[in-house]
Amino acid sequence: MRRKTSFSIILVSLFLPLFAPVASAQVEVRVRVMEASNVGSGIDSSLRDLHGQLGSLFNFSSYRLLKDENVSLSPKQPVSLPLDPGRSLELTLIDLRRVVAEVKVRISKDGRDVLTTLVKLTPGRSVSIGGPKRGEASIIIALSRP
Amino acid sequence: MSKRLEPYFDQELTGEERRQVDEHLRECRTCQESFKLMERIRGAIKQPVDGAVEKEDFQLMWQNIQREIRLRESPSWLESIRVWLDISPLLQKKVWIPALATMAILVFVTVPILFKKSPSPSVLSVVEYVDSPTYNVMVYESEKPEVTVIWLFEGQGEELSTS
Repeated sequence: MRRKTSFSIILVSLFLPLFAPVASAQVEVRVRVMEASNVGSGIDSSLRDLHGQLGSLFNFSSYRLLKDENVSLSPKQPVSLPLDPGRSLELTLIDLRRVVAEVKVRISKDGRDVLTTLVKLTPGRSVSIGGPKRGEASIIIALSRP
Repeated sequence: MSKRLEPYFDQELTGEERRQVDEHLRECRTCQESFKLMERIRGAIKQPVDGAVEKEDFQLMWQNIQREIRLRESPSWLESIRVWLDISPLLQKKVWIPALATMAILVFVTVPILFKKSPSPSVLSVVEYVDSPTYNVMVYESEKPEVTVIWLFEGQGEELSTS
């Protein structure tokens, strides 16, 4: 009996490091919500890096920051952020392997899911979700690892 | 005859030769003196040698010789390992065989997992899946700049404007 117990302890201690990083990890994700339009001009200073990336794709003349938050994600723990009235964003850390964080993103409007996606976030790379209209402007949600 | 005196003294002559020397010694005074001189010399040598032999510890001397022989004939490393395995009580226990086999299997299984070369983050597909019941969706991924865009189209006429 004692021998079986010792053997089990050795097995667990050998395999534990493989699972520990996911079990104990937290990931910081920067969420920026902006309004992009061709009404007026001007780019908020905290959006300059994103404009450098998105500027070659879109010809919006104005980028206005609506929200800039760092959220800490724990595995399988959804974090919700309100967007404009009626819309909300929910982020869930699904997996973390080395520098790659797998995050599930849900955008809902009036309680209904309008988008569900699973993205891999790595430092230095941003993932932008855009398109929904708000007046003349389009809402863009940019996710990145600080 | 004097030439046969020394072999006679050393008992190296045949029976007939010894008999002849015996007869000669009974008559020849010179040879008698020579023979007595030989006996005295042998006595003078034998006495200290016998004394030294009595004092000498041949058992200790033999042990020293054996030790020297062992030192000069050092065993091969294979022989040394075999001897060590023979005397190591831990290795005589058969429980080590399944334990070592288990360890080997664990190492075989875990090492490839731990040292698996994962693809560089830049070559990964960033968007695993995307699902929208209400929007048309376009996914754009670029390596330079490192950017991924998921664009939702609300209406028929709307298009992504590219520069």
